Amino acid sequence: MEEDKREEIKEKKPFSIKRIYEKEYKKLLIIPFLMLVLALLFLGYYQATTGSMVNKGISLKGGTSISILSSDISSSELSSQLNYEGELNIRTLSSAGNQIGIVIELDTIDEEIVNNVKKIVEKEYNLNENDFTIETIGSSLGESFFRETISAVIIAFILMGIVVFIYFRSIVPSLAVILAAFSDIVITLAIVDILNIKLSTAGIAAFLMLIGYSVDTDILLSTKVLKKKEGTIDQRIHSAMKTGIMMTLTTVIAIIAALIFSQNPTISQIMGILLIGLLVDLPNTWIQNVGILKWYMDKKKK
Amino acid sequence: MIKIPKIFKNIRVIILILAIILAVLAIKPVSQDGVAIRFVEKDSAANLAGIDSPEKNSRPLDHEIITHINGQSVKNIEDYFLLIEEIEINRTIRISTNDNSYSIKTLPKVMIEYTGNTTTEIKEVFDEKTNSTINKTFEINETIETIIGVAEIGLTVYNAPQNNLKKGLDLQGGVRVLLQPEEQVNEDVLNRIVENLDQRLNAFGLNDVVIRKSGDLSGNRFILVEIAGLQKKEIEELIGSQGKFEAKIDNNTVFTGGEDIKNICRTADCSGIDPNQGCGKLESGGYSCKFFFGIGLSAKAALRQSEATKNLDVLTENGQQYLSSNIDLFLDGQEVNSLRIGSELKGRAETQIQISGVGSGDSREEAMSDALANMKKLQAIIQTGSLPVKLNIVKADNLSPILGKEFLRTALLTGLIALISVGIVILIRYRTLKIVIPVIISSLSELVILLGVSAMFGTNLDLAAIAGIIIVVGTGVDHLIVIADELLSKDSITSNLKEKIKSAFFIIMAAFFTTFVAMLPLVFAGAGILRGFALTTIYGVSIGVLITRPAYAVIVEYLLKK
Repeated sequence: MEEDKREEIKEKKPFSIKRIYEKEYKKLLIIPFLMLVLALLFLGYYQATTGSMVNKGISLKGGTSISILSSDISSSELSSQLNYEGELNIRTLSSAGNQIGIVIELDTIDEEIVNNVKKIVEKEYNLNENDFTIETIGSSLGESFFRETISAVIIAFILMGIVVFIYFRSIVPSLAVILAAFSDIVITLAIVDILNIKLSTAGIAAFLMLIGYSVDTDILLSTKVLKKKEGTIDQRIHSAMKTGIMMTLTTVIAIIAALIFSQNPTISQIMGILLIGLLVDLPNTWIQNVGILKWYMDKKKK
Repeated sequence: MIKIPKIFKNIRVIILILAIILAVLAIKPVSQDGVAIRFVEKDSAANLAGIDSPEKNSRPLDHEIITHINGQSVKNIEDYFLLIEEIEINRTIRISTNDNSYSIKTLPKVMIEYTGNTTTEIKEVFDEKTNSTINKTFEINETIETIIGVAEIGLTVYNAPQNNLKKGLDLQGGVRVLLQPEEQVNEDVLNRIVENLDQRLNAFGLNDVVIRKSGDLSGNRFILVEIAGLQKKEIEELIGSQGKFEAKIDNNTVFTGGEDIKNICRTADCSGIDPNQGCGKLESGGYSCKFFFGIGLSAKAALRQSEATKNLDVLTENGQQYLSSNIDLFLDGQEVNSLRIGSELKGRAETQIQISGVGSGDSREEAMSDALANMKKLQAIIQTGSLPVKLNIVKADNLSPILGKEFLRTALLTGLIALISVGIVILIRYRTLKIVIPVIISSLSELVILLGVSAMFGTNLDLAAIAGIIIVVGTGVDHLIVIADELLSKDSITSNLKEKIKSAFFIIMAAFFTTFVAMLPLVFAGAGILRGFALTTIYGVSIGVLITRPAYAVIVEYLLKK
């Protein structure tokens, strides 16, 4: 009698997150699916308005990037000094909040224009040859890098799917893992676009890494739910979650450290995208994948 | 307690320890003062004294290290520049390195200027028609020579390396050029291009360069050239030019670069700024200088020349006799110079020819160094001949060593902070050093082994590779957490520790395979620009699952049992 009463009281508790999480998982599935649909719609809209789903940086569309180590060049001042007619983009490099350098991006690879820009900066700020890093990439190669890296992402995704299938040998749980990875990529890309981050080749590499990273927690979850026989499904999910969140947490901490201290654009971009991706992966693993798995296990029981 | 703890007898732990020892041996950390020689300019004072650029694929610790200049010790690059600044013209300086000692004669830097006046000079010339010596009048430009300083001795140096790790271009500066053949070429042609480019850079004095074929998923072929530690504009031009050098008389090719050339003069008496032309001010405001150098032609080419000049008319201009056609020099289809041929060369199989060209700049000095740079470029191109096809520069990067140094410093700092913060998080979660210490040891040993592999294969450690290492260590920590949680779980069915480890490795191997295949396409995509990153990640996670993580499981199991 006593026991039953307590159960009843628990059931009636209006705002128990644990109860909602364990019992209302079907309704909760709406959240990740809504995120996915919104992201897809946004990307469609982005594609329609800008002509590409990706906000391409210099390394994916061609152009020149000039990096200088200097703490006293002001980007707004420089922009007026350069007086460049084409697309000009000036960013600062900073480490732990202090400016340590500046990056000038031009949409041209014309040697004369680039040299001119270099000369102006050289004169204004009293610099020499060794202070400059100049990277140029032709637009056709940039376009080809873009196509190539996109192909790489697609191939990687397919290979990952095959590995997951071979590993679990059952359709629904495998599809759930693949769907989670797909949602991670799509939602992360949408957020990257919203934040107006210009993707470089390194940025696309980060997406590849995300495929590897994000499925880790899904695999952990699926293994614990499907292969273990200990406890209830909810208990197994809880145990997987304890490990999974810890994994994400340590990675996120390391990434934040890297984001604060590393001023290098390549590293910052990889870390930034991974951070977004790992946060996006939380609902995709612990709501979406959990929901689908529970649904599948329920059906299997019946 | 002298007894060896049981843990060190475990095969997995032994493998880990062996791997770390091998890695440290490959990295070979040392402590040495001095400056290492990166590049010796061809025919510079240092080169003439017998110093050469480092060999191809040389390891950082094999580079020759300058320890003393004139008996004064050189500890770092600042010392080196202070001592080099003091040198004077026509002195002998002694440079001692770790394996030799050299006497370098310093040469003056001479500026030759054209005054605008000409003088005439009478010279005795042998006339073939009359078979006698006759007096001939030559018109000569009046030039003045002034010594403007000490010629650079031609050494590029850097602070002596402290280990065998090769830093990538983005960390130590350098030039990276990606070339694409203008037409579809087969493997054979690509190999020839690589070989030719290598010879051309050698002729320029650069030995330690990376020239690699690469491709992409769509079947395009590229050639990647990387030269670490040097930022010279002319290198880019040297690589980018097809180098089709032709000398024509009346549109008939007399000789070309490569095979037709027997030797090229690089010494001061027959190459340099043209003493008869010198430097002068241009109407447009800048300056221009003329350079010259002598070449020796093969007998075949000389014969062709005699054929081509045999039927030419002799013209007389300003009292001097020339042949009716010039010899025109073309580089990649562009005329670089057109030279008068003296009448005495008519029909003669002359093997000694003088090549000339120009350089320009905003100031006299700039024009002079531009002319000399162009000369060296042309010499290297003429010596090694033309590439089989035209190459387009599709990507050119000129990377600053100063920026690279800063990147490296913060990368190290970042790694350290990341590792410490991860350690703190794990300590808070598990509240026992028995988990944290193995995690830190395991991550550090993964890092050391990865660096060791890089040192062993002599691959460049660039930012992308560092990003790869960060990922590897990151997945490593994730896997260690999986192992720890399994071992700590109070699962009654699988209470056996071995079973728990097996179950953890089931998850870890799945994660490993997915990361592995996710990175695989990147090895082949996009001209191999992210190849270093993909490969580092792939071999890194492989080392992780094969060596460090199994050992970690054994160590934690051992510590928990205690």
